[in-house]
Amino acid sequence: MITAHSLTKRYGATTAVDNLTFEVPPGVVTGFLGPNGSGKSTTMRMIMGLDVPDSGTALIGGKRYCELAWPLREVGGLLDAKAFHPARSARNHLRWLALTNDIPLRRVDEVLDHVGLSSVAGRPVGKFSLGMSQRLGIAATLLGDPGVLLFDEPVNGLDPEGIRWVRHFLRGLAAEGRTVFVSSHLISEMSVTADRLVVIGRGRLIADTSVADFVNRSGGGAVKLITPDLAAFTSALTVEGANVGAGDGGSLTVEGLTAPQIGDLAARDGLRIHELMPISASLEDAFMELTQDEVEYRPSTMAGAAAAGRKE
Amino acid sequence: MTLAIQTAPREHYRLKHVVKSEVVKIVTLRSTAITLGLTVAVGLLVTGLVTNAALHHGPGYYSGFDPTQAALTGLIVAGLTGGVFGALLVTGEYSSGTIRTTLAATPKRRVLLAAKIGVTAATTVVFCELLSFVSFFLGEGILSGSGAPSANLGSPGALRAVLMTGLFIALMALMSFGFGLICRSTPAAIAAFVGVVFVLPLVMHGISEPDVRYLPTNILTNSIMSTVNQGPGGIVRPLSPALGLLLMAMYAAIAVAAGAVLFVKRDA
Repeated sequence: MITAHSLTKRYGATTAVDNLTFEVPPGVVTGFLGPNGSGKSTTMRMIMGLDVPDSGTALIGGKRYCELAWPLREVGGLLDAKAFHPARSARNHLRWLALTNDIPLRRVDEVLDHVGLSSVAGRPVGKFSLGMSQRLGIAATLLGDPGVLLFDEPVNGLDPEGIRWVRHFLRGLAAEGRTVFVSSHLISEMSVTADRLVVIGRGRLIADTSVADFVNRSGGGAVKLITPDLAAFTSALTVEGANVGAGDGGSLTVEGLTAPQIGDLAARDGLRIHELMPISASLEDAFMELTQDEVEYRPSTMAGAAAAGRKE
Repeated sequence: MTLAIQTAPREHYRLKHVVKSEVVKIVTLRSTAITLGLTVAVGLLVTGLVTNAALHHGPGYYSGFDPTQAALTGLIVAGLTGGVFGALLVTGEYSSGTIRTTLAATPKRRVLLAAKIGVTAATTVVFCELLSFVSFFLGEGILSGSGAPSANLGSPGALRAVLMTGLFIALMALMSFGFGLICRSTPAAIAAFVGVVFVLPLVMHGISEPDVRYLPTNILTNSIMSTVNQGPGGIVRPLSPALGLLLMAMYAAIAVAAGAVLFVKRDA
């Protein structure tokens, strides 16, 4: 469990993270979504104790990061895919890391094997591709078999196969009951990887909710209808209380009725349907809508706390 | 997932764990072998050339000639590379980003810093002492072959000079380590080190001649390596060896302390 409470970080006049309150529960993948420069990395660095917040707290299992007895056995963090010395081999990088937390050295080969780097373990990591570096970073997070894991943009620069691998890996960690917190600016990726979302814009909390809720909150529920009986259908739908708009190519956009309800209506009135399709707003649409109008969705501290509380 | 769950030991990570990891860090970098190897090669070459050049002169040449100092000349090279080595131990972590991994593994910054300082000091002291003795024996071996004055460890002040020279250069490396903590960038830290150790003496000569003797390189050559007390014959009476060593220890302590304060306070 990660708990951020009123987390704030300023750099001179800019407020990178502004009064951020959220929780990351165990057992699910929580996506940390926001445009580039919205404060995701700064937040993660504060959770990891690398940056000191100006106010507020970030706790892991109720403790500040620097109070952890064996940090690598409690938290695995991948904040920077290239955070190792280029001249050192992958195995040696993991060896010194293991020693810091008294982790048995056989564990080094276990995690290298797990991420598929055994065959290149002796090579200098400076020669690694970005994908291999990401895998090494992931191997490092697993060294201490921690219950809490943080990944900052873990699929950046990966090929489709690598992205799939990371996705399965993250979901596997959550399925084992671990707390998994993954930042991304790739909305489509989060929609398939995450169960929950913490969305921020300009350092402020925009939403703290499930992926499904997030999509529903924004523009969901419209249905696209194509019919040769335009006029009759329109009046029938209006009578039923639906909001009907004319779409392109003789189609109708219906709001206020579900696709099954429209189908039943058509059967009752003998109207023809050529196409009937629910328009589910993509996570991307929802995100754009929410971040475009930041002022409207800017939560007060109370709203942020309430959103966090509602999910429990 | 087939990752075995381990049971964490009691207590928490300690200095000994961080020390072990810092040793592995040093040992597993090729730059360590290159820097130290280069120091040995060039240092001994300089000692060899200097002592060889002192051979085959008339007796008049050798008045004021200090065979111990001549045989330790190569250690000045170690002063330069030792400084680079000390700075790199910190700045290498910043330039590669390793420091964030290190701090994530051992977030107690004072413990981490204590381990780093201890390992840096131990490595440089052992290395510089060894090099100091090897350089001395090489130089005296060359000198003693051909009628030039030579010394052995029993000669007055010789053992003191050899031991203190190794220690002094280790202190210079620690000072540079402190510059590394302050600057966090390899070029900046090395520039600061070279500036203080090799450029400042040149500038100071033109400003205040007597104060030159407080500078590291001048202390090293005039007070530490030397066994001949340069009296009024020299331009400035040098500091005593003990005072010189103390001063250098103070310089190193100031640089490391300033770096340590910043290291503990600053965001990584």
